[in-house]
Amino acid sequence: MAGLTEDHLHHLLGTNDINDDASKNKVDHIVVIKDTVVEREAGGAGDKEMVPVAGSSIHRSTSRPQLDLSGAAIQGNFEERDPTILLPNQSDDISHLALDIGGSLIKLIYFSRHEDRFVNDGRKRSVKGRFGVSNGVDSSCWHAEVPKNENAVIKATGGGAHKFADLFKERLGISIDKEDEMDCLVAGANFLLKAIRHEAFTHMEGHKEFVQIDHNDLFPYLLVNIGSGVSMIKVTPLLFLTVDGDGKFQRVSGTNVGGGTYWGLGRLLTKCKSFDELLELSQRGDNRTIDMLVGDIYGGMDYSKIGLSASTIASSFGKAISENKDIEDYRPEDISLSLLRMISYNIGQIAYLNALRFGLKRIFFGGFFIRGHAYTMDTISFAVQFWSKGQAQAMFLRHEGFLGALGAFMSYEKHGLDDLMVHQLVERFPMGAPYTGGKIHGPPLGDLNEKISWMEKFVQKGTEITAPVPMAPPGTTGLGGFEVPSSRGNTLRSDASNLNVGVLHLVPTLEVFPLLADQKTYEPNTIDLSDPGELEYWFTVLSGHLPDLVDKAVASEGGTDDAKRRGDAFARAFSAHLARLMEEPAAYGKLGLANLLELREECLREFQFVDAYRSIKQRENEASLAVLPDLLLELDSVLAANIFDWGSRACVDLYHQGTIIEIYRMSRKKMQRPWRVDNFDAFKERMIGGSGKKPHKRALLFVDNSGADIVLGMLPLARELLRRGTEVVLVANSLPALNDVTAMELPEIVAEAAKHCDILRGAAEAGGLLVDAMINIQDGSKENSSAVPLMAVENGCGSPCIDLRQVSSELAAAAKDADLVILEGMGRSLHTNFNAQFKCDTLKLAMVKNQRLAEKLIIGNIYDCVCRYEPATR
Amino acid sequence: MEGDGIQVERRDEIAALNSSADEVSHLALDIGGTLIKMVYFSSDSDWPVDDEGKRSSKEKGSKNCNFVNGRLHFMKFETRKINDCLQFISSKQLHHYGGWHTEAPVDCKNIIKATGGGAFKFADLFKEKLEISLDKVEEMDSLVAGANFLLKAVDREAFTYMDGEKEYLQIDHNDLYPYLLVNIGSGVSMIKVDGDGVYERVSGTSIGGGTFWGLGKLLTKCKSFDELLELSHQGNNRVIDMLVGDIYGGMDYSKIGLSSTAIASSFGKAISENKEIEDYRPEDVARSLLRMISNNIGQISYLNALRFGLKRIFFGGFFIRGHAYTMDTIAVAVNFWSKGEAKAMFLRHEGFLGVMGAFMSYPNNGLDHLMSKQLVEQLPKSACCPKHEARSPLLGDLTENGSIECSVQLCL
Repeated sequence: MAGLTEDHLHHLLGTNDINDDASKNKVDHIVVIKDTVVEREAGGAGDKEMVPVAGSSIHRSTSRPQLDLSGAAIQGNFEERDPTILLPNQSDDISHLALDIGGSLIKLIYFSRHEDRFVNDGRKRSVKGRFGVSNGVDSSCWHAEVPKNENAVIKATGGGAHKFADLFKERLGISIDKEDEMDCLVAGANFLLKAIRHEAFTHMEGHKEFVQIDHNDLFPYLLVNIGSGVSMIKVTPLLFLTVDGDGKFQRVSGTNVGGGTYWGLGRLLTKCKSFDELLELSQRGDNRTIDMLVGDIYGGMDYSKIGLSASTIASSFGKAISENKDIEDYRPEDISLSLLRMISYNIGQIAYLNALRFGLKRIFFGGFFIRGHAYTMDTISFAVQFWSKGQAQAMFLRHEGFLGALGAFMSYEKHGLDDLMVHQLVERFPMGAPYTGGKIHGPPLGDLNEKISWMEKFVQKGTEITAPVPMAPPGTTGLGGFEVPSSRGNTLRSDASNLNVGVLHLVPTLEVFPLLADQKTYEPNTIDLSDPGELEYWFTVLSGHLPDLVDKAVASEGGTDDAKRRGDAFARAFSAHLARLMEEPAAYGKLGLANLLELREECLREFQFVDAYRSIKQRENEASLAVLPDLLLELDSVLAANIFDWGSRACVDLYHQGTIIEIYRMSRKKMQRPWRVDNFDAFKERMIGGSGKKPHKRALLFVDNSGADIVLGMLPLARELLRRGTEVVLVANSLPALNDVTAMELPEIVAEAAKHCDILRGAAEAGGLLVDAMINIQDGSKENSSAVPLMAVENGCGSPCIDLRQVSSELAAAAKDADLVILEGMGRSLHTNFNAQFKCDTLKLAMVKNQRLAEKLIIGNIYDCVCRYEPATR
Repeated sequence: MEGDGIQVERRDEIAALNSSADEVSHLALDIGGTLIKMVYFSSDSDWPVDDEGKRSSKEKGSKNCNFVNGRLHFMKFETRKINDCLQFISSKQLHHYGGWHTEAPVDCKNIIKATGGGAFKFADLFKEKLEISLDKVEEMDSLVAGANFLLKAVDREAFTYMDGEKEYLQIDHNDLYPYLLVNIGSGVSMIKVDGDGVYERVSGTSIGGGTFWGLGKLLTKCKSFDELLELSHQGNNRVIDMLVGDIYGGMDYSKIGLSSTAIASSFGKAISENKEIEDYRPEDVARSLLRMISNNIGQISYLNALRFGLKRIFFGGFFIRGHAYTMDTIAVAVNFWSKGEAKAMFLRHEGFLGVMGAFMSYPNNGLDHLMSKQLVEQLPKSACCPKHEARSPLLGDLTENGSIECSVQLCL
């Protein structure tokens, strides 16, 4: 973690002339804020606007709504390497900046607004809030503009909040409002644990595992903050919510053997110049040269009677007794490791005893001593596990360095974050993340041009992505605690556990898909990329696709020089993400394939490629619509074969060789039943309404690709459903992703299709898809009783996959009356949701266009088909 | 080795001792890494031998008892001078089984109970020099048996120590269990004792005497443990430790109940200053180290006592060796963490728990049912009065020749 030192504080405050050395240091370093940003919908009225309004709402991209929270903007003028911090100039707007000024680091959290880059229809100019965290600026220089309002107050915590209060007042006219450290720690931890999915993780034997904690089951817990000393805080829920927050706490214990002891004793014993140097040393140490092990006492044997193995440390530094060695005779590496284990182990033990004492199930460790250091976490984890006999586990927080600053931020009244729900937060990793490796932070680059030149400069300077070093395979980083490491520390990077902290986007309209059978156990990703084999495979696949994607993206923007430049920058940024993930798979938290695919889309958007497949989608739609009439004629008795998505690549290849309808006939022959997974008959029986069952009331049809897929596949399927009296809601992406059809494109496609089909026309009219006038979904079905409605809603995401924990409120509303969910296409039914269980009948349809996936999921082959019908699991 | 120690009078229920008079063993050893502890029993010269007493005494309440007077002697030798120990045994003819009974069977005559790591290591040496076979007794068994015996049999064995004041406690034998026994050797073992031979090692820490001495040796160049302890007397830990007041500008962090003089971070001040190890006084370093380790042991002990609902915590082991400041820090830690609810207790014979236990492990040693009123302790003439000044050596410390004597008079 980079240090925002005292010197840097002067820079932060616009006094970079004070310290020449620091000014020099900064010059060759490009600063990026790798921050967390929460976007917030604008104003109170905004919330109401977000209530789904059928028809019209899909024309607006509302997946990233705005909050008119006028507040601080932190702007970086990158070109001059002289980024500016704009501090608040209205006292009303102050809830955007909070500081945690520690002894060695300053942590900063801010909320800022930015242009809504997702709005592409130009109809609405919107501003979004960004809420960010920065944990220090390395060699940077921030100018602050003095606010006009001299009464500005900023919340701050940490020892420095007191120390530097005068400086802030003098330079900026800002008053520092000091918040109690422990209050802030607890508030920050509560916020993170409740608002961010997979915030917590365990760390055993070098292996990180992210843990999802049920919010209703979070309290009570023990928060162990390891600073110079160690505080142990019991956090319990309040019975009644108060303005103070959602948890009360008590410092129940602590120990004076903490980070200060490690660094203090370590410095005396090793002459290290920095804490990090000391930690680094420990990587290469062997504590057996100094510690007295059980085996040393019992002649190499275990003391099995009391469960101590020979390698257990009987006495830390105990070997230094009996030998006639001086301090110079010991390797500093060994001393550092011995010290680290002694202290980590002791903290783990005392923490566990306290958790036990108060009946606390969970122990979260944080504080500067840990700073993502793998061995430290291993040792603490081992201690907790050892003493609890496996009953308790140590947990760590991805944002642990920000607890205090977040808490200070939370202490503003009316920031509106109290009741944040996890499903409203989307974490994104901006393009700078892989370069900074979780270390360097600076102001955000709001401007596209800055982003591009930032990338270019990195390339010019030949900067490598945080120096990739071969990772130690999992499980070989030592056992921590008492045990002797099975391999020396030199196979482990010092920052192997460095975690990137992403940008948090707050989207208040996102909701949990109500038809999930159990949202607590729901996991969208079928492929977990924590499996190194999977990660490597998808890394290769995505890298392979990259040039083609860049070509398409550049072409979509007219192939201009500007587009080419942006395309290059995108390719570099995305490659960097991939490289970073290969190096440290857990760098971005828990990652599934869906997240990786979404990362790519986000990265495209970051370089303002609004819709890389725009023209391709258009062309395919037109071609498909041209043959739709022929298909509809041919369909009547045949329902089955056209329900599969058409891989766009195959589709395009064929497109050049024959007519669409020929292709269709051909592929139908190819896809002879039975398919690899074939529950079609069961579905058909249910759909036709056999055995006295009524047809489904409403089907949610999650559509996939543009072109033949939607036109020749999904619309005819919708038609069949409508014909049998089932309402159909087409669910499409809010934002473009590959060649997926978007909700905005649907009305036009449906309108075109409706020209050839009375059923579709009547239904689309009834569903309000064909008129500009807004008709509410529910109202639509009632008012136009003559036809079963066909409707369309956006799903709230911009990824080829879908995470049903975060869908648009319209989709959630539409789902309330639905009793059939149809997921179509690989992204939504295989890569994600393949194993998802729903409260209603579900049909998952896909052609597997990937050999590896086919083998893995259905023990089949590429181009095998999946038609998986799962009746409601109530 | 003046006559001194504990005299015991037993008038009834002496079955075990009496009946097994011919099996009573008189020597046990605890051979540690640094010290050898020895307990031996010697009968008074006017020892009455009465074979009939064996039987008659088995009848409860029999007045027809015989008094067996004797003494339990407690001695220490440095392990590296093990020959002194061998010589002592030899000179006292202690290895000739049955100092007062010569008719003991020959085959078991040269077996001596011993505990400690050295019981294994030096077995050959004893065999060679004295033709003694060491019968190894499990360490923790010994420790617990010894503590149980001393706590029950010796009057005012336990005491608390606060602010230089020692206070002896009378412990009701019927209310002794369960208790936590914290043995601070190189490492620390915490043992929950529920009764005779009923115990469990529930916890421990690797930060113990070895850590104090090992780290202290590296940091101060002291040549001996005692020298390091001595240094710590003269030290001031505030020079190196970061206190709460250092963080909060001299103020208490009263919200969480920390006084400004509480140690926030041991050795924490060594961070922020540009001082090398040479710039610190060894006295201050020793003091900080002692407080860090004592405090930590006190805290973990208290947490474990709490966990098992144990009212009493007894501390023992070589780390303490009657050192006032050590006891004081441990006592303060227990007092602090328990908010005054718990008190650290120490044992006068703390160095001899293991060897006493080994002694007890002889079958029918006769001591099992000793009651405190039957033991009369005779303080050595040189011993201090019960209340000691803070830095004075405590009762039962090593005398100059490395031995300690207490004797027990057993009256049958």
